[in-house]
Amino acid sequence: MRIVLTLALLLAACGPAKDDRTTLTIQRFFGACEAQYGAVTDVAKAEGECGIMTAIINRFEAENPDIRVVENIVFWPGYDQLTAQLASNDAPDLVTMHGSVISDYQARGLIAPMDAELPKIGVTPAAFTGAARAAVTIEGHVWGMPIDTWAPLWHINMNLFREAGLVRGGKPVLPRNPQELIAQAQQFRQRTGKPYFVQGAANEYAGYTRNFYTFVMQQQGDLFADPRKANFRTPEATEALRLFKDIYDRDLTTKNQDYSAAVAGFMRGDGGVFLVGTWMVGAFDAAAQKDGALAGGYAVVPYPQLYPQRDATFADGHNWVMPTNTERTPEEHAAALRFLKFFAAHEFDWSRTGHLPALRAVIDSPEWRALPHRDALARLATAGTPLPKGVRRQFPIETVVGQEAAAAISGAKPIPQALADMERRVNDILENL
Amino acid sequence: MATARASKHDWPNALFVLPYLVVFVAMIVVPLGMGMWLSTTKGDLFGVEANVGLSNFTRLFGDPIFLETVKNTFYFVLLTVPALTLIGLGLALVLNTPARWATVLRTIFFASTVLSVTVVTLVWRLVFLPDGGLLAVISEALGRTPIAFLNNPDLAMPAIAITTIWWCIGLPMVLFLAALQQVPRELYEAAALDNAGRWTTLRRITLPAISRTFVLVVIIEIILQFQLFGQPQLMTLGGPNNATRPIVLFIYETGWRQWELGYAAAAAQVLFAMILIAAMAQYLVASRKGAQ
Amino acid sequence: MMRSRNPVAIALVVIAGLLMLAPMLWVLALSLKSNAALMADTNAVFDGAFTLENYVAILGNGQVFRWIGNSLIVSLGMTVGVLVLASLAGYGFARLEFPGRKILFVIVLLGLAVPEQAVIIARHQLFSWAEWHNSYPALIIPGLSAPFGVFLMTQYFRAIPKELDEAAMLDNASRFTVFWKVLLPLTIPAQATLGIFTFLHAWNDYWWPLISATNKQMFTLTVGIASTQMNFAQTEGLGFLMAQAVFAGLPILIVYLFFQKYIIQAVAGAAGR
Repeated sequence: MRIVLTLALLLAACGPAKDDRTTLTIQRFFGACEAQYGAVTDVAKAEGECGIMTAIINRFEAENPDIRVVENIVFWPGYDQLTAQLASNDAPDLVTMHGSVISDYQARGLIAPMDAELPKIGVTPAAFTGAARAAVTIEGHVWGMPIDTWAPLWHINMNLFREAGLVRGGKPVLPRNPQELIAQAQQFRQRTGKPYFVQGAANEYAGYTRNFYTFVMQQQGDLFADPRKANFRTPEATEALRLFKDIYDRDLTTKNQDYSAAVAGFMRGDGGVFLVGTWMVGAFDAAAQKDGALAGGYAVVPYPQLYPQRDATFADGHNWVMPTNTERTPEEHAAALRFLKFFAAHEFDWSRTGHLPALRAVIDSPEWRALPHRDALARLATAGTPLPKGVRRQFPIETVVGQEAAAAISGAKPIPQALADMERRVNDILENL
Repeated sequence: MATARASKHDWPNALFVLPYLVVFVAMIVVPLGMGMWLSTTKGDLFGVEANVGLSNFTRLFGDPIFLETVKNTFYFVLLTVPALTLIGLGLALVLNTPARWATVLRTIFFASTVLSVTVVTLVWRLVFLPDGGLLAVISEALGRTPIAFLNNPDLAMPAIAITTIWWCIGLPMVLFLAALQQVPRELYEAAALDNAGRWTTLRRITLPAISRTFVLVVIIEIILQFQLFGQPQLMTLGGPNNATRPIVLFIYETGWRQWELGYAAAAAQVLFAMILIAAMAQYLVASRKGAQ
Repeated sequence: MMRSRNPVAIALVVIAGLLMLAPMLWVLALSLKSNAALMADTNAVFDGAFTLENYVAILGNGQVFRWIGNSLIVSLGMTVGVLVLASLAGYGFARLEFPGRKILFVIVLLGLAVPEQAVIIARHQLFSWAEWHNSYPALIIPGLSAPFGVFLMTQYFRAIPKELDEAAMLDNASRFTVFWKVLLPLTIPAQATLGIFTFLHAWNDYWWPLISATNKQMFTLTVGIASTQMNFAQTEGLGFLMAQAVFAGLPILIVYLFFQKYIIQAVAGAAGR
């Protein structure tokens, strides 16, 4: 008997201390960087999406010892997982979600409305930029708290541009139409021996889609006049693909690099213009402070307007949404709101990644303007254009569009065939919602 | 006679098989039936919306992407199964000796089989990477431009096939070794007495003696490689230009990406039918072998 | 084999053996370089400056250990579960009479023809409705249903001479005692084969853990390594990734080197049936 009691006491002593704190489960993409930022709480010292997000969450946990934060990092974009979790009632409390995807989850009642919640933490819809607000608003209700707006950009290696004779008055010379683009790119190639563009083209489809959407939008082409029906066999779509096929055929772009190889390649000086998004501004700017191919020569601009009809760039944004969960306690709910408030207060830190802030106050602030290159990017606030909110399943569609665009651009398929296949596959998805 | 003896008193005996049967029914019988039912519905991970009869199947057979995945799967099986069988046989023939060097080599050839698909794909991406992978480094050392295997629609599937052969070669080799060791020595002694040459011995004695195993290996490998999933999912995402998407990846993407569970279930039934035919062939061969 | 060896064939096989090793050695070499050096130029592999910093990073902050832990729990759990269930069922089918025994055995055998793809979607739905994903039972239970184990154990029990049973029953032993004390110990070779095969299968399983253990904390090693490859930003660096691959492959390779004979026997035996 004594043995039993001793054993029981030992077990009780050795067991983990019971954690009575409220648990807050935050799920996010942006990569895993625990090796470097696992314990960092000084947000000002963090760099890059992963670093700054990890630091903010760490800081929140440090400043709120009564909340136990569980940080779920998902591999991008994490929607397969989120869907599986929601299907088995295993929802996180907060999750990062692209604006283009919100309507899919909202239509099925899987995320909670935030109209009543946000004012509780002092954040009103009017505090956000037009683009950010549009990302979370469906039929007049707000379904999340915007984090940022992002768009693809032209990241420029000014050292190579200078060598190519494409710098005037300290600013990069940019094409104003497709003919100038080809001419300048060829000049770049002649003078530097390198391709004009750096692209992460392998195992990657999002980049193709963003280029495609952007240049169709610039021609005021309408891909989704009816949000439930795709219309890709248009002259504008053909022209958008033709332009990039021309660039590919003339070897004016790097080929076969996957995303990380392209990032490394750009920093090594593989080419003049890297087509990637706002999230790399912070990282490249930091690289420009050090030695290397980018030293002292980094500039970034929104996509130039190559077609006279409209100045537009495809844009999307990240947002925090709260999945519906009948089992969430009021304390957990309150903890989630506290985190949202904390994050909103650190919006400026998040904007150091390069994404456009969602809060008007931050975008108008002198601190933000003083961040490197931001004055050049301010134009995105009006030029950034997402797909119409009514278009559902935007992520699978993005993959399909990217796959077919890649096939057309590399010459594996003729352009009309690619557009026809693109349209058929996308409509297949949309018809079977 | 056995059934005549089984009586009411013997029910408790069934308790031995009960635990397993519960799991069997719950995890195989029920899901099998449910899968067939799901294939006649339209729905997603959150629930079934409607019953649509066989329209999922008609849609499948009219879907160029699905048909391409069937073609890709057959192409992949064609690339891997003959190679696996013949190379496995060749290795077994050479390594069928207790000598030390053969033991070391056998160990090496089987080692890759114990790795998981995700480790294998990570390793081989670093071989095929055009920007610093093993093959690229060798090409550049030889003064040639590296070939981007995984980004070339014509070379991607062969590249995945090579990866798979590297990964799976152990099993055929080991099966052939076991079969070779069953061949009666008298046959070889008789051949030696007749002064038969090496090739003749191979053709007339060895191959016929292991013919059952040969067919078995072919069928097993066909069934295994039909289920191709991890390699294209991680190495090429099914591309480029849809060239490497097999049926299983189609099922995964349709169900978990496009949220069309009924359609995915229908594709799964089609794959099941294909594998069933192959499995029945294996059973027939194995039972004929057993009857011998 | 009595024929003399063809030297050309042997040379080819040796070369093939080296080719088999090449990819693994390449990954090992990359894992010993610093991330920064590899970012600048992957050809840096050959410049001789090797470092253990990636392994230190894993030891310091590795999720790899959590993944290995999960894999161990799931693999051992499934192995023990299969051995228990299959042994009991094998004895039942081989030695005992009960109504429906033949039919049930045939049905179990038919289960051998059912591939994972035919049942995985429905299984996923079942566990979703039961709200049981992201748990060890969810990762273990499906694997317990594999008919191969029952088939193997039934064959093995059948091969044991009935005299042993009868001798024990003369002493008024119960069915279970006959099973537990007399027959089971005689099946150790089959248990070893089945156990190893199940362990390997569980350790390397990919699709089911991918869709069931979606929570990073529940990743098995196989899914964890997949997640590293699909990581959009790949912020961890190439050298670190390779070190992870080495960490992931090493345990099973070491087990393989020690238990080679049994593992090969298990896999070959399984396929041969």
